[in-house]
This record gives sequence, C-alpha cells and structure tokens, in this order.
Amino acid sequence: VTGGRELAARALAAADGDQAEVLVLSERSGLARFASSEVHQPTLIENCVLTMRIARDGRVGTASTNRVDDDGLRELAARAGEAAESAVAEPDFPGLAEPQPLPDVEGCDEALANLGPEDQARLARAAIEAGSVGLYGFFTSGLTELAIASTKGVDACQTMTDATTLIVAADEGESGYAEQTSWKAARIDPAGVSREASEKAGRTRGAHRPEPGVFRAVLEPYAFADLLQAFAYDAFGANGLLEERSYLAGRLGTRIVDEKISIADDPLDPEGMPKAFDFEGMPKTRVSLIEQGVAKGVVWDRKSAARAGEGHKTTGHAPPPVFAQFGPLAFSLVVEGGEAESTEELAGLVGDGIYVTRLHYLGIVDPREGVITGMTRDGTFRIRDGAIAEPLVNLRFTVSVPQMLADVPGLTRERVLVNVSDFYGERYPMGARVPALATARFNITGIGSDPGI
Amino acid sequence: VRELCQAAVDAAIGAGASYGDARVVVRRSQSVATKNGRVEAVNDLETEGIGVRVLVEGAWGFACDRRLSNEGARAAALRAFTFARAAGGRGPRALVPLAASSGTYKTQVKIDPFGVSLADKVALCLRAENALHHEEVKVTDASVRAQREYKVLLTSDGAEIEQELVECGGGVDAIAVADGGYQMRSYPSAHGGSSSQGGWEYVEGLDLEGHAPRVAEQAAALLRADPCPSLVTTLVLDAEQMQLQVHESVGHPTELDRVYGTEASYAGTSFLKPTDLGSLRYGSEKMQITADSTTPGGLGTFGFDDEGVPALREAIVAEGVLRGFLTSRETAARIGNGGGGSMRADGWNRMPLVRMTNLHLEPGEGTFEDLLADVDEGVYLETNKSWSIDDKRLNFQFGTQIAWEIKNGKLGRMLRDATYTGITPEFWGSLDAVAGPDAWRMQGLTNCGKGQPGQSAHVSHGAAPCRFRNVQIGVKA
Repeated sequence: VTGGRELAARALAAADGDQAEVLVLSERSGLARFASSEVHQPTLIENCVLTMRIARDGRVGTASTNRVDDDGLRELAARAGEAAESAVAEPDFPGLAEPQPLPDVEGCDEALANLGPEDQARLARAAIEAGSVGLYGFFTSGLTELAIASTKGVDACQTMTDATTLIVAADEGESGYAEQTSWKAARIDPAGVSREASEKAGRTRGAHRPEPGVFRAVLEPYAFADLLQAFAYDAFGANGLLEERSYLAGRLGTRIVDEKISIADDPLDPEGMPKAFDFEGMPKTRVSLIEQGVAKGVVWDRKSAARAGEGHKTTGHAPPPVFAQFGPLAFSLVVEGGEAESTEELAGLVGDGIYVTRLHYLGIVDPREGVITGMTRDGTFRIRDGAIAEPLVNLRFTVSVPQMLADVPGLTRERVLVNVSDFYGERYPMGARVPALATARFNITGIGSDPGI
Repeated sequence: VRELCQAAVDAAIGAGASYGDARVVVRRSQSVATKNGRVEAVNDLETEGIGVRVLVEGAWGFACDRRLSNEGARAAALRAFTFARAAGGRGPRALVPLAASSGTYKTQVKIDPFGVSLADKVALCLRAENALHHEEVKVTDASVRAQREYKVLLTSDGAEIEQELVECGGGVDAIAVADGGYQMRSYPSAHGGSSSQGGWEYVEGLDLEGHAPRVAEQAAALLRADPCPSLVTTLVLDAEQMQLQVHESVGHPTELDRVYGTEASYAGTSFLKPTDLGSLRYGSEKMQITADSTTPGGLGTFGFDDEGVPALREAIVAEGVLRGFLTSRETAARIGNGGGGSMRADGWNRMPLVRMTNLHLEPGEGTFEDLLADVDEGVYLETNKSWSIDDKRLNFQFGTQIAWEIKNGKLGRMLRDATYTGITPEFWGSLDAVAGPDAWRMQGLTNCGKGQPGQSAHVSHGAAPCRFRNVQIGVKA
C-alpha cells in the first residue's frame, strides 16, 4: 500500500491531452470478526482503486479500475474520456483544482501499519480471553493510502492507519457494548474494551419495561456520536443547505441549541483521524458548525461552493467517490466537552431519566427538522435519584436532534473518538470525537426486546 | 479463470486446509445521475479480483487479491490459510454436501445495457427530469444504472460454476420545499429507484418520463397536506412498502446466521430460535412468504449461490407458520435442515454471508379497491421514506412519503409525514387481506447492508398491497 503517487502519475500520463485528475485509494487491512467468542469471519483485504475524472469543456466523466497495468490504465482513460464526452457541460463547473499548500498532519503509525494477520488474530483473541460472557465483535487494523494527481499540478499523498475494537458482550438476557478506535498502536487495548463491555453486560440482567414518554437522559459517547453523525448527513453538508434539506437552512446565525453545544468538523485534530486533504486534493480545514449554540456554517467542496456563488469557498470536504452523490460531508465531527468528570456526574445532573450506552439502526424520519428514530441497545438503564439504577429493555426513541440539544444540563470533560465507518467499499478512516451528553428531552416512543443474544 | 481458481484451491489444500473455495469476480458498472437539469455524475466503474475462503481445523479464513494471476491466486490462498490458522477454531465445521457439481448460468438480456451509450443514458435522465418540472418543486433528480458481473467459483469438494449476471435500473425524485416544509416523492421507489436483473428493456419499461408529472404534482401537494394523525387504526400498505416490510421483518430475521448470533455485533440477531421451525406462528393465515432465487428478473436470481448450491424456491412462511430459514451449507448442517443456497458475497473482496435472494409475499385475492372497500376508517400509505427496526427484528417503525385517509371504503384527503410502528409477529398477525396477482409487483433494491466489513446485497421482493387491523400510526418526535 505504497506507490500511489507514482501510480497516479502513470495513470495521468495515459489521459493524453485531457484535463484529468486521478485518485488512488489503496488498502491493506485485516478484520477478525468473532461471535460466541470464536473468530468466524476473518477477512484480509488488499486492493487499489484508481478513479479518473476527465473534464472536456465543462463536461465531466469518471471511471475507475483496480487494474494497474498499462492496458488497465489506458482503458481507464478511454472510459473516463467517453464518460466525459457523454455528459452535458455544467455551467457552474469550477474546473479542476489548482494545487494548494497542504497542512502537515499526523495519522500514520508505523507500528500499527505493520500489524499482520497473526497480530490481528492475536489481538482479537486478547479481547475474547478477557471477556466474561460470550463476545461478538471484531478487531481490525488497516493501512490506507490516498494519492491525488492532476494535470493542473495537484500532487498529494497521505498514508493513514486505523484500528478499531468493537465488542458486544452478550448472553441470554444480558448485553453490553464498548469500542475503541485510534490511528496509534499504543492506544489499542482490546482486552480493556472487552472488560468494559462485559462489565456493562453484567448489569443488564432482569431488564424492566418503562412506559414510553419524554425522559431526561444521559447518552454515552457511542450513542451521541452515532446520532450526531446521522444528523450530520443532511444538516452539516453544503448540498443539504442549498437544497433546504438541512436543519441549518434559514437558521444560520441564529441560536438553535443550548449554548453549551459547540460542534466543528476538524479533520486536522490529532486526536481524531487526521487528514491533510480532501478528494480533490484541497487542504482540509476546521469548520465551525455550531458555536455556543449558534448555527455557524456547513462544509463545502469546490463544486457546491461554485454552485452557491456569493463568495463561498471549499473547506476541503470533497467526499470519497462512494459518497459523491451526497456532496461535501462532515466525517471528522468534534464536540466541545463540558465540565462533568464522569457519566455518573451527568446522571446526577439528570436526576430522573434513562441512561443510554449505544444506539441501533437509525432512520431519518424528517431531515428538515432533524427527526431521527432508532433503538437503544446493549446497556440501557434507568436513572433514579441522580444515580444509574435498574436495567431497561431496548427502547425505541424518536427525537428531533436540535430539540434534544436544546436543553443540555451537562457534558463530560473527556471526549472519546468513536469509529463512524462500517467498512463498506474502500477503507477510509473516519471518527467522531464527542463527550457524553446529558439532555432534558429524549422521547421514548416504543418498547423493544430484552437485552442479550 | 478456472485455472486461477484451481491454483488457489490447490494452494489452500496443499497448505493443509480441509476445504477451500475460490471465486473470481469481474464487475463492470455504469451509473448516470442528473439533478436540477444538470449532469451530476457519469461513472463507468470496473473491479476484478479473486477471493479465497478456507477451512483450517474448523477455522474459517478469507483473503483476496486484485491480481488475476497465478501469483495473486496463490498469495490470496496462503494469506487466507495463515489468517485461519492464527484465528483458530473449536473443531470441525460440517458443511452439507453439494447437490450439483458444476454448471453455468447467464441472465437473459434483450437489450445489452452496455450497448446503450452513456450519452443515451444521460439523455434519458434529462428527459425524465424535465418532466418533473413544477413551480413548487425545488430539487429534481433522475438516475439510471447498469451492472454486469462475471464470476467463476471452484470448490475443493467439486463445484465448478460459471455465471454472468446483468442488472439495471433507475428512478426519479421530486422534492418540494416551502415555508419550512420538505416533501419528497419518488418513482418507481425511493432510495435510488428500482433495479431488475435483465437488459435495458427494464429501464425503458419503467417509463420514468411518463410517471414524472404525477410524482412532481404529489410532492407539491404534500406541502399543503395535513399531517398524519396519531392513532390506532386500519392500515393499508402499497406493494412497495410491503416489500420493505417483508425485507426487514421477515427476510433478516429468517437468516439463519443471525439466528445463531453471528451477525450480533452489527445488524443484530433474530427473535427466532432454531427450534421455532415448523411451529412458530409468524402471522395470520394470509401470510405466505417464499424465498425464490429462480424468479425471472430478481436481483437475487442466479444459477448457483456463492457456495455452489443450485438456485431453489422454498417456503419460509406458509399460512402464517415458520417453515424455513435462509441458510448456508454450514448453518443448514448445524440445524439439520435444508441444503444452503443463500450465500452471497459483495464482489471478490468480501466473504460470502447468508443473504436474502428474492423473498416474496405471495399474492392473495381481489383488487386494491377490494382492500379499501372493507375499511370504514383507516389510512393508506405509499412509498417508503424511513425505516428502523431493532436488533432482534421485533420493534419496527417505518415512514412513507405519502398517505391518504380511508373513509367508508374510499381514499380521502392526502396526508403527509406518515409513520407506523409495531412488533413483528403481532403486526403480521393483524394481516387480514392480501391483494391478488394483478396487484403483485416486484422491485429490486441494491442497498441491503450486513457484515463486518460491510457488504451491500442486491435483493428483490414481490408483494401486493395488504391490509392490517389495529396498527399504531403517526409516531411523533
């Protein structure tokens, strides 16, 4: 998984005479998936995908291949050329990007890059051996390289590492969840993740069934990150704003949530999954989305900025090809922490409510109002008298995210990096770094099944 | 290609694997998308490689290589072996024997979708979009797609399979926006339209342009519609929403790997137990569900699955009772019933998983109007908008793009933002009518997610409009 820069240059040479841009996304990864404390789906992936975009007089076409020999590259250029020829000129096409100075970022750890199949199996086993009930989940690590070159002179390359341990510790009638993600090998502790999930599972036996209604609640970082990322698809991208699908449409500059809430997309954050440039080779920048409760902005790429006009510029958020239809997206969400030292302290602020570890299967009910439904899972508890009390069954919630954030009694000081990739398609590390959250409004609309397998 | 697969399997067995299979997949796909009269994307994608799966002392291993060469095939096999041995297992895993050892299959195509130029595909989208024009519609989009997948499978226990699957599809959306309202209508279904195995004749038959004016009119009308009330009432669902209902609340829970817990860490498990087979009452006697990988035009249609098991049609639910699971060779051996046939992988670099093929709700009798005629008060919901279901596939909440009040057997005023919720067996138990064959429709979706790393399956479902009694509708935030 190196040599993307040279490969991009070779592919560019094949696009003789055209305005062209080449992305090379290479992956070497291993994922040891386990169930009932036994590895059952171990997958090793090595791939290298070249995507060529050709522009002819405002007509733009794209082709991709994973054939890297000369014939493969020639055919790639021919197919991209035909695609461009078939398009209709776009009046707002900004042209291919000019090269820009790029920030220096971290994000690649040699020790993590060197993990091989035996290491990945060993780390999965370390998690399994530390569990006190049946374990379901995976350990994965991977090395990803993104290289971009263009006839305009763009020539960028970044190598990234990432590792995630994800565990559901479960038996009949009990389940707990934990995960950990990082780009550094030194931060990998599968056994610790296993112990956290197992401890949580042990407290979920004998779950109670509450009546639906509006509750005060504590959301652990796993739950908050999941909900926020789902909200972000419509709310924090330029296309959502321009098409008035975003909750922020018509609300920029106004107070939309509690002033304790500040959210940014910060791809440069060394504690996140750092990125130097986007999929057009433009420098990544930190974008303030909500600042002290006030809607500040969304993320842009060159295409959406050109379409919007009025001085808008790219913020370095052109998406991977697989997400191109959505336009620019926020995949490096960071939420400011608060003053609480623990989730137990948040439970104290809530007083009477529910405690949510993680969520499951979110569905966007109304993008314009930020309404999302889903289930709680693997660690739902009642909060009574300011303390975490009896376990609850899985609960269906239907919430407006802005309403949920409108009254926030507190946030933890500590923030956790939560993986937000399910590893579909080509690997590209993504994570949200968020605190645990206390909210005055979390609407439970249905009752689900008991925890556990 | 056969020799590459043989080289991979030989390498795996030579290294000490008790079983090995190798799949070469060469996939080409094209997609065109237009939005607001502009070309949004013209894509021509190809990917190829070999995936090798091995069993080593009861432990699975899978590795892949993009190089279609002897070197690549052998390297993938040896990496898979290394990973399996390192992961370790608890002892032998049984696989049910294969019924057939070799064969070929090819999708019947009248018009080769790759013989239709990208320029013609762009023109089709722009024409369809133009027909979506409406004063209150702010966003219009149209898309078409085509895919051809050539694959060869060879297993160490004798299967040699060669297949070519061709599919294509398309759809249009209109989004009306005004005064904070945001309403979408889609045709032929939401979330990217519908796809079918077959040639470009399927896309032409959709007549996107002809349906576009209605789609735009309804999107605009929804801005002025009343919200769906919150109450318990009689619910009639259109064929498309029924397809989603079948997918989420019957298809996934009857995947036997979920029943055994191997999908617990992502998509979830199932409320079903292996011992429920043949006895569990899933729904009313009107409920007949069939898994059928032989359905012409289905996205889950093939000659053989990715373990080499021949296509088959089998009952999953008959007269409301659970009669079958979707299985692999391993899970079928474990439950001691069936022969597999539902193993499918998303391309060459993913391991096969138990997936839906084509899962149908069999038609009942009568017309859509007959369903309405027996409703004094209720609602009719059409075209999926949102979906969510719990990890055991019990508690679900779905929303649709549009709804109408039913009064005295007739459709009344239009309603917006409709949702309904229920618990799977209770909901199916309230099914009291399924419309007949003339109202039965099949559509294909390409975004069924499962597995870690994630895999997207292409699946078709057929259903007719259905009527359910005493359902909670109108869930509010």
